[in-house]
Amino acid sequence: MSQTEPRSDRATRCLEQITRGDQHAVQELMPLVYDELRRIAARYIGRERPGQTLQATALVNEAFVRLVGEKARGFENRAHFVAIAALSMRQILVQRARARRAAKRGGAPERVTLDDGLLPSSAVPIDVLALDEALTRLGEVDPVQARIVELRYFGGLTIEETAQALRSSPATVKREWAMARAWLKRELGG
Amino acid sequence: MTRDRWERLKPLFHGALDQPAARRAEWLAAACPEDPSLQREALALLESHDGAADFLEHPPALDAAALDELSSSPPGQIGPYVVRGELGRGGMGIVYLAEDIRLGRTVALKALPVPAANDSGRRERLRREARAAAALTHPGIAVVYALEEIDGDLYIATEHVRGRTLRAELDEGTLGPLRALDTLIDVVSALCAAHEAGIVHRDLKPENILRTEDGRTKILDFGIAHVTDDTLTQLTAAGAILGTPAYMAPEQLAGAAVDFRADIYAVGVLLVEMATGRHPFAGSEPPGTPLPPILREIAERCLARQPGERFGSTREVLDALVHARDALTSGDEAAAVDSSRATPALRFTPRWWWEFHQGAAALVYGVMAMPAWTARHLIGGTPGRMLFLVTVAAIIVSASLRLHLWFTSRFYPQELRWVRARTRRFIGAADGVFSLALLSAGLLVGDARASLATLLIAVAIGTAVVCLVVEPVTERAAFRSWSHRSSRPA
Repeated sequence: MSQTEPRSDRATRCLEQITRGDQHAVQELMPLVYDELRRIAARYIGRERPGQTLQATALVNEAFVRLVGEKARGFENRAHFVAIAALSMRQILVQRARARRAAKRGGAPERVTLDDGLLPSSAVPIDVLALDEALTRLGEVDPVQARIVELRYFGGLTIEETAQALRSSPATVKREWAMARAWLKRELGG
Repeated sequence: MTRDRWERLKPLFHGALDQPAARRAEWLAAACPEDPSLQREALALLESHDGAADFLEHPPALDAAALDELSSSPPGQIGPYVVRGELGRGGMGIVYLAEDIRLGRTVALKALPVPAANDSGRRERLRREARAAAALTHPGIAVVYALEEIDGDLYIATEHVRGRTLRAELDEGTLGPLRALDTLIDVVSALCAAHEAGIVHRDLKPENILRTEDGRTKILDFGIAHVTDDTLTQLTAAGAILGTPAYMAPEQLAGAAVDFRADIYAVGVLLVEMATGRHPFAGSEPPGTPLPPILREIAERCLARQPGERFGSTREVLDALVHARDALTSGDEAAAVDSSRATPALRFTPRWWWEFHQGAAALVYGVMAMPAWTARHLIGGTPGRMLFLVTVAAIIVSASLRLHLWFTSRFYPQELRWVRARTRRFIGAADGVFSLALLSAGLLVGDARASLATLLIAVAIGTAVVCLVVEPVTERAAFRSWSHRSSRPA
C-alpha cells in the first residue's frame, strides 16, 4: 500500500474490494478503522465533561463519515465498514475491561464510572469480559450468530442492516439474534 | 455444547418460539422425544429469551476514562507526520511528538478539538490567526510551522521546545521576586513582539510558558487559544462548573471581545504568582512571600478590572518590569517606586550609568577619528597609513558594538546578557588595539605637533584606564544581580 494514498481513498478502495468479495481488503481496512476510532476518541478527550458518555456506535458512525463519507454511500459499503468497526470496538472494549480488572487486582482504587451500571440505557450492567468469552464460545458452535451479536451490539446495526452485511434475510437474522441473545443471557447468569 | 448438538437445538428453539408459551413444553416433547436433556436445554433457552428484555439491545457507552484509554496509543501516522510519542493531553486534546517526513524535522503536533474542526467560520478565523502567528519570529515564542488539514481534521504543527513548563517550576515553590522578574521580562518582551504584530495570546498561563534547557523562556500556543474560547463562554453561560479560569481577564470571562490588555491582565496574575508563590485571588490561603511594593504597584495596574485602567501598551509593562528589576537589584526600591510614577530625573541607576558609559565611549571613539586623520599625514608613508587604518578599524568595531549594547539595554533588555557575553571579547580587543594605535601615533607625531601628540597619548592612556578600571566597576554595579541573584535577600 502506498503512503501517499489518502486514508479516505484507501478506505473506499478497501470497501469496494470487500463488496466484491476480496477478504484481503478486510485485513487492510482493519487497522485504518481502528486508528480512526482512536483518533476520534482522542478528539473527544477534553471536550467531554464529567458525567457525559458517548455511545460506542456514535464513534463508529463518525469513523465511517470521516473515512468514507460521501464516496461510498452504498448501504452495503456502510454495513461492511460497520462490521469491521464493530470488531474493532469489541477488541477495544475487551482490552479496556482486562486492563481495569488487572488494575483492580493490583489494588488500585476502583474507578466508578457511569457505564458501570448507572446509565439508563443499559439498566443491567454488562460484564464485557464475560460477554466476550461467551461470544467466543458461541462463535465456535455458531459463527453466524456470534457475528450477528457483534454487529448488533458492538456495531449498533439494525436487524435490516445486519441482514445486508451478512447477505441474509431480516427474518433469519431476527430469529438467530433471538437465540443468540437468549443463550448469552443464560451464559452471563441472567 | 458441541456443534452437532447446537444444530439440533436450533430448530427446537425456533420451532417452540413460534408456539404459544403454554404449549412449548408439549411441542418440544413431541419434536424431540428421544432426548429429554435437549428438551430441557431448549426450554431454559426459551425462558431466558422471555426474560431477556433489552439485554444487548443498546450498544455499549464510552465514558471519559474509556475514551482516554481508547486513544492512549497514538496513531502511527497523520498525513505527512510520523507520530513518535505523546507530549501531553488536556483541554485542547492531545499533543503528539511527531516528525514531519517531508522536511525531517521534529514538531509538536496538536489535534484541535472537534467543534473547531467542524465549523467553517471558526476554521477560517483559525487559519487567519495561524498565518499571523506563523509570521512571528521571536526567540521567546514557539514557532508555528503549519496549520494542517488532514483528512478533515485540523492540526497545528509547532516547534517542539524541550523544557519544563512554568507550572512545573511553580509547583516546586516560589521563584522569588528577582527570578520572577527576569522570567517575566523574557515573557513580556516576547509578548511585546506579538502585540506589536497585532496578535493576542488570550490564554497566557504557566502551563503555556516553557523554560528551555538553556534557561530561556518560550510562549506556546500563540493565536490558537480562542479555539476553546467559545466552548468556555457557552459553558459559563450555561452555569456549568469549570476549572478556575484563573488567568482570564474579567472582560474575557464575560465573553466580550478582548485585545492585548487581556494578556496584560494575565501578566499581572503571573507576576504575583511567580514572585509570591500564590495566586493573587487565592483569598484564604496562608500568605506567601510578600510582594515588594514596586512589584505590587505593577501587578495592580495589570490587574485593573477595566482594561482602560491597565498599562496602555505592553512596552510600558516591559519598561516597568525592567525598571523594577534595576531598582530591586540596586537595593534602591523606595526611589524606584517614586520614579515609576514617571519622574525620569531620578533614573540614575547603575544601569543608567552603564548605558551612559557605552554611549559616551562610542562618542569619544568616533571623535578620535579626526585627530587620527591629521596624525596620518604628519607621520606619512606606509606607517601613517597603516596606523590610521588600524585606528579606524578599532573605532568602528568598538563604537558600533557599544552602541549596540546601549540600544539592546534600552529596548531589548532581555537579550542583553547574551549580547554582552558575545561582544565582550571583541570590544576588549578593539579597545586594546585602539589604545596602542593612538599611543604609537602620538609617539611618532612627537615634536612635529606637540599638542596633537599630547592629545593622542592622553586619550590612549585614558582609554586604557577606563577599560581596565572604570568599565569593570560600572559593569559590576549594573549587573551584580546576575551573578549574586540567588544570595540577595528579596
